[in-house]
Amino acid sequence: MNKKVSERLQIFAMLAPNLVLFFFLSIYPVVWCFRYIFFQYGGLASGDPIYIGLGNFKRLFTNDPVFIIALKNTFIYAIGKVGGVLPLAFFSAMMLNRKNLKGSGFLRATLFMPTIMSAAVMGLVFYLLFNVYNGEVNKYLLLLGMKTPVNWLGTKNAMLTVIIIGIWGGLGNYMIYFLAGLQGVPQELYESADLDGVNAIQRIWYVTLPMLGPVLKMIMMLAIVIAFQDITTIMVLTEGGPVNATMTLFLYAYQFFFPISPGSVVTTQFGYGATVSLVSSVIVGIVTIIYLVVSRKLDNLY
Amino acid sequence: MKRRHSFFSIFFNVLGWLIIGVLILFTVYPVIYALLGSLKTNAELTLGGAIFPKDPQWKNYVKAFIDSNFITYSKNSLLISLGTMIVACFTSSLTGYIFARHEFPGKRLLISLYGAMMFVSIGSVALYPIKLFLQKFSLDNTLLALILVLTGSQITNVFLVMGFVKGIPKELDEAAILDGCNIFSIYYRIILPLIRPIVGVVALFTFRNTWNDYITTLIMTMSNKSLTTLTVAVVQLKYSVFAAAEWHIMLAGASLAIIPVLLLYVFTNKQFISGLTAGAVKG
Repeated sequence: MNKKVSERLQIFAMLAPNLVLFFFLSIYPVVWCFRYIFFQYGGLASGDPIYIGLGNFKRLFTNDPVFIIALKNTFIYAIGKVGGVLPLAFFSAMMLNRKNLKGSGFLRATLFMPTIMSAAVMGLVFYLLFNVYNGEVNKYLLLLGMKTPVNWLGTKNAMLTVIIIGIWGGLGNYMIYFLAGLQGVPQELYESADLDGVNAIQRIWYVTLPMLGPVLKMIMMLAIVIAFQDITTIMVLTEGGPVNATMTLFLYAYQFFFPISPGSVVTTQFGYGATVSLVSSVIVGIVTIIYLVVSRKLDNLY
Repeated sequence: MKRRHSFFSIFFNVLGWLIIGVLILFTVYPVIYALLGSLKTNAELTLGGAIFPKDPQWKNYVKAFIDSNFITYSKNSLLISLGTMIVACFTSSLTGYIFARHEFPGKRLLISLYGAMMFVSIGSVALYPIKLFLQKFSLDNTLLALILVLTGSQITNVFLVMGFVKGIPKELDEAAILDGCNIFSIYYRIILPLIRPIVGVVALFTFRNTWNDYITTLIMTMSNKSLTTLTVAVVQLKYSVFAAAEWHIMLAGASLAIIPVLLLYVFTNKQFISGLTAGAVKG
């Protein structure tokens, strides 16, 4: 019995360091946010929190055009990024998955390189690259015969630019996931498919993709969830602008608490900001669940 | 069975490698631009021209180091990244080991709570209550608090270690118990040496994450700039009054922030890549 107690104590002592961080850094903030969704609260300077019931939700769903814009933008960004990055990553993985291919390791390592870069620092570099007048991208485009410089960071193109950078950052990452999945496809299947005389596209469609099924599902889910939460690049590159053109849900919630850039003015609205961030995370959850249900339905069809 | 090399298969092959070439260029170009641009003059950068600097301006780095106080920020970056790395390895390996090997009341609930929190994300908003809480105890603005907040709850790494420990034969633990080892000494003497590969992955990923982190460090050091890291300081150059005339300094700063991780990556890219798949695709 005594031994049991001492064992329990040891177990608890060994868990404690991580447990403290887990409760303080993961659980506590969520609980804090939950508490304030029913309040109007602007911080210590603006007096005590006022209980307003479901007022924050009412404002969010009926009286907040920026939230709707952010919601739309988040979906555009996520669809654009996932839709761009996954096919390219799959393609790269297919090309680099050949046996006895010299230099394949080097090519993989090169394509994976953006994954280790700071999104914020590279956001700054891209900010210079995509600059309207002095940026290299426009200089090359003008050399290639474009008539007027493209305003990459203007209202019309900012979202496209952010998506391109998102693809830049994610390509290698998803390629590695695909490569890991491709390792699991038995070589014999390809051999027997070859005996049947299928062409390259049939090989991919009838052998690779079905065999990749579960991994593909995982990768898609990961890509969607991550894309919904990317805010660093946007924060550095466009600050959500111009005029909310690249404002996404999590960035929108953020600016109720902290300034996006040193110059921007925040009117802190913790109650409303908490509501926005909780609703945003619920939306991500719902999208994930819908995705899981739909992909299971599709499985049953086969 | 040899596959026929028809005209089409050669055509698609060439096209395929062409696309890979474009993707490689797309991947590498921004980094090359930053590294080479850091040695150009501001005029060379803004007016455009050759890819390589005419006359390497090493003084850009001198200027960044001295005028923009980057010596301090580099030291901070290194100290904070190493600190986070050590705490992360320690906390995640302990918890991963306990989760994999020992029973205690509430274990299943706790593990599912960890799993659930992987998907519940309220974003950077979480930093506000954390900061407020630390303020109450005057712990904000301290190096220790910054390191702990950046370490975070390590959920993914805990599961990574847990999976790895489960792959180690239990007989080893049992033999150690017979030899009189207690729970901690099993961890320390038996498990820890065996899980070194996965702890290495945790270390690598945590170091990179902390070194590259922007938002958390920015918020946590808002009122104490002396703890700011390279990454945050570099991005802040964008908001300087002289930003338009200081592209060369911005790129020198960006290169200072990039080069250490790039060097680390040159030597450890295999571990980075295998670490990524160890965590993700198995589940």
